[in-house]
Amino acid sequence: MKKWKAFKGKWELSLVLFLIIEIIMFGLINPRFLKIKVLMNSANDFVTVAIIALFMTLVIITGGIDISMGSVVGLSSVVMGLLWQELGFNIWFALSIAIIVGALCGAFNGFLVGYVGVQAMVATLGTSFLYAGISLVIIGFSGISPAEGITGFPDSFRALGHGKLFGVPSSLIIFGLLIIIAYILLHKTTYGRRVYLTGINKEAAEFSGIKTKLVILSTHMLVGIGAAISGMYITSYLSSSRADHGATLTLSVITAVVLGGTAITGGEGSIVGTALASVIIGLMTLGLQMTGLSTQFVGIGIGLLLVISVAIKSSLGEGNLFSNIKRKIKSNNG
Amino acid sequence: MTIIKRIFEKREITALAFLIILFLGVGLRNPDFMNTQSISTVLKGSVLYIFLAVGMTFVLLTGGIDVSVGATLGISAAISASMIRDGSSVVLSILLAIAIGLIIGLINGIGVAIIKVPAIIMTLGVLGITRGTMIVYTNGKWVENLPDSFKVASQANLGGLNFYFILAVIIVALVQLYFSRGKTGRFFAAIGDNVEGSILVGIPVKKITVIAYVASGFCASVAGVIFASQVGFVTSNTGLDIEMVAIAACVLGGVSLSGGIGSVIGASIGAIIMTAINSALIFLKVPSFWNKSIQGSLLILIVVSDVLIHKYFQDKARKQRLSARSSFVGGDK
Amino acid sequence: MSEKKSLIRLNEIYKSFADNEVLKGTSLELSEGEIVAIIGGNGAGKSTLMKIIMGIYPLDRGEIYIEDKKINMSSPSVALEKGIYLVPQEPLLFPNMTVEENVVIGFNQNKSELGEKLRNLIKQLGWNISLSRKAATLSIAEQQLVEILRGLLREARILILDEPTSTLTFNEIQSFFKLMKDLQAKGIGMFYITHRLTEVFEIATDVVILRDGEITINGPVSDFTKEMLIKGLMPDSVENVKEDLENDLVGNKEDLVLKVDSLSGYGFHDISFSVYEGEILGLAGVVGSGRTELAEAIFGMGEITGGDVLLDGKSIKGYKTKEIIDLGLNYVPEDRHLNGIFSMADVRLNTTSAILSRISKVFINHRKEKEITQKYIDDFRIKVTGQDQSLKSLSGGNQQKVVIGRILSSNPKVIILDEPTRGIDAGARGDVYKIIYQLKKLGLAILLISSDFEEIYELSDRAEVMYHGTNHVALSKEEITMDILTLAAFGA
Repeated sequence: MKKWKAFKGKWELSLVLFLIIEIIMFGLINPRFLKIKVLMNSANDFVTVAIIALFMTLVIITGGIDISMGSVVGLSSVVMGLLWQELGFNIWFALSIAIIVGALCGAFNGFLVGYVGVQAMVATLGTSFLYAGISLVIIGFSGISPAEGITGFPDSFRALGHGKLFGVPSSLIIFGLLIIIAYILLHKTTYGRRVYLTGINKEAAEFSGIKTKLVILSTHMLVGIGAAISGMYITSYLSSSRADHGATLTLSVITAVVLGGTAITGGEGSIVGTALASVIIGLMTLGLQMTGLSTQFVGIGIGLLLVISVAIKSSLGEGNLFSNIKRKIKSNNG
Repeated sequence: MTIIKRIFEKREITALAFLIILFLGVGLRNPDFMNTQSISTVLKGSVLYIFLAVGMTFVLLTGGIDVSVGATLGISAAISASMIRDGSSVVLSILLAIAIGLIIGLINGIGVAIIKVPAIIMTLGVLGITRGTMIVYTNGKWVENLPDSFKVASQANLGGLNFYFILAVIIVALVQLYFSRGKTGRFFAAIGDNVEGSILVGIPVKKITVIAYVASGFCASVAGVIFASQVGFVTSNTGLDIEMVAIAACVLGGVSLSGGIGSVIGASIGAIIMTAINSALIFLKVPSFWNKSIQGSLLILIVVSDVLIHKYFQDKARKQRLSARSSFVGGDK
Repeated sequence: MSEKKSLIRLNEIYKSFADNEVLKGTSLELSEGEIVAIIGGNGAGKSTLMKIIMGIYPLDRGEIYIEDKKINMSSPSVALEKGIYLVPQEPLLFPNMTVEENVVIGFNQNKSELGEKLRNLIKQLGWNISLSRKAATLSIAEQQLVEILRGLLREARILILDEPTSTLTFNEIQSFFKLMKDLQAKGIGMFYITHRLTEVFEIATDVVILRDGEITINGPVSDFTKEMLIKGLMPDSVENVKEDLENDLVGNKEDLVLKVDSLSGYGFHDISFSVYEGEILGLAGVVGSGRTELAEAIFGMGEITGGDVLLDGKSIKGYKTKEIIDLGLNYVPEDRHLNGIFSMADVRLNTTSAILSRISKVFINHRKEKEITQKYIDDFRIKVTGQDQSLKSLSGGNQQKVVIGRILSSNPKVIILDEPTRGIDAGARGDVYKIIYQLKKLGLAILLISSDFEEIYELSDRAEVMYHGTNHVALSKEEITMDILTLAAFGA
């Protein structure tokens, strides 16, 4: 038990260590990997995952999960593209509405989970169909080819994904900014405190007068906003608005959060951990590509990271079934 | 309310009723939907989902979930298809594909039951690994040009019914029989219903949980082989997101995602509904892009009403219990 | 002992959890056709003893003999094999399975044979229970019957019944007793755990009283009177914390703070009482008497079907928990682990969880948070290595002090303490009592809910006794004695 505690305290430290080893390893295989520019540009690829993962951390801390974010990414992208192209909205106005749509999608998830009491997994499975379906319906009515999507965005919008400030790519700036926002939100505000308390013991939180349903709803809403921001970024970066932009994000996002030290059962986790894990996953993607391996190894790598990191934690942790039952019997003892 | 409760306890029947109403309703608008050809197309199309849903039911009953089945389907399809294309024996190829499915299931099962990785995480990780491995194996290329003999099997009919569909019906019947009559059949649902109770009556919880995931892997690999035979080629996207459809089918058919409730018959009807909605749209001349949002809305509607009804009765039972306690005064004087 | 065949004999059983010694050399015997009633307060060790018999807990020291053969009771399956079956207080059925499935699951025999056997058994017992009903639809009484059927079908010779009547109605109890007598006639031995003394005389052949892990009374029921049993339940010497502290008391009973007026809800009905400033009102009652349901309803977490709750003359009925806390009423919940503490979080997070919006607007004011936390650590002498020590690593007593600190940090006028010393060792108990007296001196109105009558006796200025959901006995300070409390709470 003591060993585990010491280990847990150093989880973020071990992530940093892992990151350094990763960089050195890929650097040895391909020295080009170590160029600052290359490293910085890698953010272009992983930021879509990272943005969502930062907010997903909050949902998972409350003990929930959201698997509909991929669909929300696509939906927000489609909504923005259509408002701009078909209805002639100002691009930034269209973008704002798309983010509101993301927030509403998240809020609906949160309503189902927090207020109706549907399991988070089931609720977001259903809405994942629904949101993806709505994107398809919108596209279907507009008569746009789903394969090509909407293209031809103005340069000002494309700068969102391709611009640079003092030589730093926009993706890295967005990532940094959102880390700060999420960090302050979770670790410095009373709201973040309520998120933790809800995740650690929902009942006790209720007895402390915390509105846990509202807390749960709001965390899902944040993921919705995160997914929409991610959708905006990817739309700009690829210069095309499509429904399937977020199709394969789920695995990476959940891996980033869990690898970052957030317990899937809720109650613990940190933004720094998630951010570090996102970078680890991002660099692994880049590194594997640069070593000439097919990109498909990335999926294997991420999958292994996920399973191994959780397996290590759960075999060391006390949350396994047997000890839980023992504890339950013990607490009934009277 | 008790009638509603009864009906919701027999979710296979509500699901079946829904399916019939779907056919009748759409049939009113377009009678072609009710002819044998259309029905047999729906049934044929649902075979894949039936297999996946049957395997998924094993896992869901224990209170777990398996999101890796799409990838398992993909890799089994790719392996069997490429081996058959390259001239290996059909039987050997199929057996190998199924062995792969069993191994993937075993890994999932050990991870969940013994190492105690939460099911969603374990199977999500295995999903990534399996899909990556599949694409490495195929080099990201399509597996095409399968021998006609292999493809023709999917067209085979027995008494007007598709051969694979008959196979699916037989499997469903056998599993249903096992769940209701077999000695260990009820153990799966027992674990999902009350783990502590299961341990106290001596159910080997770990072993049964592992078996559930192995069964899921097995079914997914069989579905993979059938896919290869039905479609005739395997792309790198084969099986992508199909696990979601399988889970949705189970939920539609009354399998509870919190474990303990459900039957393979219900899950199979759910699988047929998922396919039927698709065809119904075609016959209604509604663009197929409506498909996903209809499936999603239906799913949400069902889970929400399930939760609300369950809550209502639970609350009522609790109140009755408490009232019974307090209304009795001085009785044991 | 008797000429009847001995079914099970326990010899000098010792069992500790962490540093809490629950059983201190307990010896017990059960013979054919005996019903041994086991009574004792919360934490006396009854359930632990039964779980040791069932192989759920390993024992530290001692021996178990079944039919005079020494047995190593290592797991529930060994116990089942030896013909022991525990009917738990809350039945562990599979809610989504039918009665039949619930009974026959886990057997290795042919299902249809088992079904036949089960039907014969039910016919033999003359019961009327539908085998095809789902367990979730059964009443608690029926669920208990199913549990017993499980035991009987396994041909259990020894049944352990853990407070089976606590959730039953009068008629259900009568038919349940009839069943017990039938089983007794068949030679089955039963351990019968109960809180109700009247039942002991009605059904048991022998009686055993456990107190603090030791047996104080053991023998045939006919050897005892109710008064003797009550005496056996009471401690040898009531500790004199009371007198030390009583000297400081200021007895002003002027301002009415909390008034509960014919309050009804699920689990309690027509409850009325008042709590004044600087006063401790004890609310005594056994588990299941509706105390906690009442407290939660007052605290805005349960449904109120009638009556009113007035805080400072203002109705708080229908208010949300947060509003009630802000108006000056706070609650220390009964189940500390389930509702009281955030075990993964540290002392600071726990202490301030109910006042987040008061100490900070948006950003957490860490300085203020630390000050408040330190204040309670110092005031209550909470033993911690620092404010960042996690709650799960604290002892029960220190955890409870943190919870009380959290409640006080909200500046309440009234606090409800629900079983404040459950699962806490003797030393820490004294500390908690001192804290409660401190609060009283500060002028707080305190509602002390407890099934530990010694606690009510020591601390309360007045007491109400709850029994089956109503408070039918009100006691002034002079009237509070252990005898009266025990009698009233056991419905006598």
